[in-house]
Amino acid sequence: MAQPGLEKRTKTKVEDSSSLKGTLASVFLLGFFLIITWVGVFLLFLNRF
Amino acid sequence: MHIHKFEKIWLIFGVATLLVFLSVIGVSAFYLGNQPPSCLATINPEQVDTQAPFDKPGLNKVEGKEWDYELVFVASAFNYTPGEVEVPLGAKVKVLATTKDVVHGFNVAGTNINMMLEPGYISEFVTTFDKPGEFLIVCNEYCGAGHHLMSSMIKVVE
Ligand SMILES: [Cu+2]
Repeated sequence: MAQPGLEKRTKTKVEDSSSLKGTLASVFLLGFFLIITWVGVFLLFLNRF
Repeated sequence: MHIHKFEKIWLIFGVATLLVFLSVIGVSAFYLGNQPPSCLATINPEQVDTQAPFDKPGLNKVEGKEWDYELVFVASAFNYTPGEVEVPLGAKVKVLATTKDVVHGFNVAGTNINMMLEPGYISEFVTTFDKPGEFLIVCNEYCGAGHHLMSSMIKVVE
């Protein structure tokens, strides 16, 4: 009996290892986190006396 | 030199945000005149009680200045004088504080008034009390065994 699943060849997209897409995404994720928290603290500063 | 397109994007983005943050600080300091609370105003810590304005702690009306009142606090281990004070809503006030002994904190909880009081120096903060309510003042610099008992209260009333 053939092993089920053996014939199923899953095709995974292999990205070019020199691609910087993920790096770009994580840099901007961190960048926006910094900006949002900075703006949040700054607004708190402006709203208080 | 080859730079990847994405690298250019985040380099420009990073430099731009840095410039924005720095210009905000620059405008705050050089245009709005914001400065550290303790900015070279000095006093002899042993003669605090006899020297103006610290000979009259509390809220004092002043004329001909940019602010309407001066709110004067003297800190010592382990209390503030005055222990409670009322400020009229909307008053523009210069808060002046100093210490007679060791370093104390002066943090009006929930506001931007947060200063370190160092012996020999006068800490100042100008602000407009535009929210009514009771504001607790706490010492946030560890100053000794009674540190946690050190508090005062500003009541902003209409
Ligand atoms: Cu203290």
